[in-house]
Amino acid sequence: MDDRIELVQSEALAAVSDAQDLDALQQVRIQYLGKKGSIQQLMSFMKSLSREEKPAFGQKVNLCKQTVTDAVEARQKELKAAALVKQMEEEKLDITLAGYDLEIGTVHPLMMIQQEIEDLFLGMGYKIAEGPEVEQDYYNFELANIPKDHPARDMQDTFYIDPNTLLRTHTTAMQMRELEKARGGLPIKLICPGKVYRRDDDDATHSHQFMQSEGLVVGEHITLADLKGTLEFMANKMFGEGRKIRFRPSYFPFTEPSVEVDVSCPFCNGRGCSVCKQTGWIEILGAGMVHPHVLEMNGFDPDKCSGFAFGVGLERVAMLKYGIDDIRNFYINDQRFLKTFDRFD
Amino acid sequence: MRLSYKWLSEYVDLSGITPEELADRMTTAGLEVEGIEPLAQGTNLVIGEVMECWDHPDSDHLHVTKTRIGDGEDDVLQIVCGAPNCRKGLKVIVAKIGAKLPGGTIADKPVRGQVSHGMLCSLNELGVDKKYLLESQIAGIEELPADAPVGETDVLGYLGYDDTVLDVSLTPNRADCSSMWNMAREVGAIMHRKVTWPDYEGKADVGGPTTFRVATKTPMCPAFVGKVVNHVKVGPSPKWMTQYLHAAGINSINNVVDISNFVMLETGQPLHYYDLSKLPEREITVVDDMDTKITALDGVEFDIIKGDLLITTGGEATGVAGIMGGEESMIDENTNSIFIEAAHFNHASIRHTSTRLNLMTEAAQRFTKGVEPLAREKAVARSVQLLSEYADASGFEETIYAGDEKYVPLTVTETVGHLNGLLGTEFTMDQIREVMDSLGFRPEVNGDAVTCHIPSYRTDIERPADLDEEVIRLIGFDSLKSTLPLMSATVGQLSPAQNGRRVTRNVMTAFNLHEIVSYTLVNQDYAENGFAPAGEPIALAMPMSEARKYIRSNLINSVMEVVRYNEAHSNVNNNFFEISKVYGKDAEQERLAVVLDGSLREDKLHKIDERGDFYAMKGILLAWLRKFGFTEGRVRIMENRTDTVHFHPYRSAEIWLDKNKLGVFGELHPVYAAEFDLKRVVYAELTVDPVFNTKAGKLRFAAIDRFPAVSRDIALVVDKNVTAKQLLEVVKKSGGRLVRSSSIFDIYEGEHVAEGQKSVALRIVYQAADHTLKEEEITAAHNAILAGLSKQLKAELRA
Repeated sequence: MDDRIELVQSEALAAVSDAQDLDALQQVRIQYLGKKGSIQQLMSFMKSLSREEKPAFGQKVNLCKQTVTDAVEARQKELKAAALVKQMEEEKLDITLAGYDLEIGTVHPLMMIQQEIEDLFLGMGYKIAEGPEVEQDYYNFELANIPKDHPARDMQDTFYIDPNTLLRTHTTAMQMRELEKARGGLPIKLICPGKVYRRDDDDATHSHQFMQSEGLVVGEHITLADLKGTLEFMANKMFGEGRKIRFRPSYFPFTEPSVEVDVSCPFCNGRGCSVCKQTGWIEILGAGMVHPHVLEMNGFDPDKCSGFAFGVGLERVAMLKYGIDDIRNFYINDQRFLKTFDRFD
Repeated sequence: MRLSYKWLSEYVDLSGITPEELADRMTTAGLEVEGIEPLAQGTNLVIGEVMECWDHPDSDHLHVTKTRIGDGEDDVLQIVCGAPNCRKGLKVIVAKIGAKLPGGTIADKPVRGQVSHGMLCSLNELGVDKKYLLESQIAGIEELPADAPVGETDVLGYLGYDDTVLDVSLTPNRADCSSMWNMAREVGAIMHRKVTWPDYEGKADVGGPTTFRVATKTPMCPAFVGKVVNHVKVGPSPKWMTQYLHAAGINSINNVVDISNFVMLETGQPLHYYDLSKLPEREITVVDDMDTKITALDGVEFDIIKGDLLITTGGEATGVAGIMGGEESMIDENTNSIFIEAAHFNHASIRHTSTRLNLMTEAAQRFTKGVEPLAREKAVARSVQLLSEYADASGFEETIYAGDEKYVPLTVTETVGHLNGLLGTEFTMDQIREVMDSLGFRPEVNGDAVTCHIPSYRTDIERPADLDEEVIRLIGFDSLKSTLPLMSATVGQLSPAQNGRRVTRNVMTAFNLHEIVSYTLVNQDYAENGFAPAGEPIALAMPMSEARKYIRSNLINSVMEVVRYNEAHSNVNNNFFEISKVYGKDAEQERLAVVLDGSLREDKLHKIDERGDFYAMKGILLAWLRKFGFTEGRVRIMENRTDTVHFHPYRSAEIWLDKNKLGVFGELHPVYAAEFDLKRVVYAELTVDPVFNTKAGKLRFAAIDRFPAVSRDIALVVDKNVTAKQLLEVVKKSGGRLVRSSSIFDIYEGEHVAEGQKSVALRIVYQAADHTLKEEEITAAHNAILAGLSKQLKAELRA
């Protein structure tokens, strides 16, 4: 009888492993494990057995049933897995086909630079000032130590609206407003970004409208060396680590001493290239110690405090950083130009 | 300014210093040298003599010469020359084979079949600017004096053109350096070299009594110095003076006029020499209250108005003070007596007049930038000296004065502590004193303090800080350390508006819009015919062009110009935004403009096309406002009653925040769009001040519903004009508190729907916060909604 069981079992196991798909396996299951299946039929031999033999026989049949059931389930897993593999194979995608054309809009490069400068100084506790573009002569010139008919007015050709009103020629006007507002209160740490206007014919390097960002710090014992350190920090953030700063004497009516500031050329590391015209240095901004007369006019005592100010042209920075050769690009707003700036920098 | 290296070296010992080195050091010290150019150039030059000259056989203008350039047998060269003045016996400049001239290198090649071993040169061919040359010098080769030494190879030296000109850009505070003497002092301080000025002092003391009278009737001429010279002999200037004037960019006229210019260059003081015999009276008065006409030195007539400084004699105008002399009293070859004027004219007055007359002469420029108070006296003394020496001047009369300007010498005291405190340096008193010494400030040290006697020409030095600058710029900025300010901590933080701009950028770019920055200045049409101007447009007093005459009071036209540009350059999907201030008389607003021209996202392959239509704009604006915490209830969309000139009357809407109308959005009016060659463009222009500055409600978390929601759809047919808002309001009111949300998910008009009707599909979501809804509850609410829709909007369930 045992032979019989073994025969059925080996037939069943062979059929299970021969089943090539789930339907065939189901047929095998019915054939061997179903109510009328071969294993169930083995039970019909039970009645021909002695009382002593029955339990052992029953156990053997059950074991056989279990073995076949396990085999079916295992085979079922295999076949399911194989079927899934097959299904997935059929689902194969051409991974080289373009993904969805998902674009993110762009921030204007001048605003990118402005925000970069703002963030840099926000981190150092500076406030960001606001001020009108249609400005009074008083804030734009008078308070900045540039009285009427001062030769320095020739440095900036102005769009006047009437004798007392103009389009601001520099963001220094915002500095003056903030100094006046502070009424001698210290410390002052400001960044003044914004649009400014000068009577210039538009060409590749000149624009009647452009953007500046000025900085102003007034406190006790502020030194020219502090200005240098601050600008070095800024240059390293904006043009990459390792930048050096060089001061050259200059003149602005609202600072004394006044300096032009060069940064070591980030393109050749100061070795000399076409961008820096072989000098190793690039002029990026003007700066200086706040003129004592400016402090006085705004209600500060130059014997008790001092300050520094600097101003950078955003177009110039953007042109240098990104190799833009024509300033008009910023104001024409060609989509192809704008889309260049679809990443952070 | 043009600075002659050779002339400068007359005052400063420049031995061993090249022009390039000097330029570097000057730039480092604040006198920026923008260019270096030789006055003339040429290698392989020699002085020669034309021994024979005959016509070229194959040319109607060329000559063939035998030119001797030395005493040797081989020193006679055949050279072909095209100059009309080429002739036998002439002493000439010969550029030998291989000579490098500004125009190129001289090659050994025949000219029309005739051998030519070099070139005979004009000064222009050596790089001398035509404006310093006579017509005859430009037309032909240079004719050297008969005694010119044949064989001399230092031709530029022989000519006096062995000079280099430095183009120095002076900052407005250092106008004093436009005087050669002052520049010499400055260079001496920079290079640590000795400076010697000509000995001219006291030279003006000569002269007998005078009957000439000078007067000034205006505070705009606070000082006038004059001197009569009864005899001068007009003739050519000495060669060195001509060369120095050339180097400075001034043409030589004759010895007397040249001396006035030369002394101006030396001292910085503009001078005017009058032909004494042509002055109708022996009197000069400066006035500024005449309306008249005057013919200036160059023969042009100018209108003079009250306020212009005027030189008068006998009540008649004879010159525009400080700008240009009159024609009648001009020095010419027959002049034999002169009157010297050295005056102070107010910089502002000169500036106004010269700007108005468009007459920025060398003198005017100098007055405008400021002339040192003692230069007048120096200039008169130096004039007397040079006129005596080079124009046989004699018959001087005593120097006469008008005006009450007094020069008060200035001293400035600085301490080592204050200086180092401002600069952040550790300079010693010795270092400081050395700088002050080199500048001629005659420092007096008293303990920690140093008192400087500021020379009259250094009008830029008024305060200790000015001295500090001198010290750092002359010692050099290289010694400066880098430190950060030591001060009490402050918190850096964005204002609501600054934050608002950043949030706006984030939102708009997330929707694939590109930020633009367009010009503030626009034309009159744009300024006056725009969307909701912020106020009456502001015009510039003196615009550069009609196209940029007004400050924009709105953004629409500028933005449409950008879109038109992009369309014209075949850019598609031009979706932009701009955040900018706009202005009107006494009004300032900050605005956001958004333009959709095409699709927000378009991908044919994956069949995506998010069209930039009215609803896209509405979605963008609501999402933007939501980011600020403003949602339904506070934000309202209303019929556009603001502007149907720029906007399509039936495809635009106003958008409000609380009680503030922010602006309008929608399709452009077809007529307006056509002005920019545009079609269905969607635009929004909103004032952002209320958005940035209004407080939103608190951000709070509401517990997530625990009980399931059930959604039911309804398909209705309603009158075409029933709005979405009407439908959803009825749903909300009729359905009661179980209606969690409702939305329209389909609208259809056309076939199978009666004319004038539309089919609308609604989805209603039911949910309760405290229990799972039972079927009966949902059905009751749903039936109430259907009844409400039917009753109030005549909406019928679609069959």
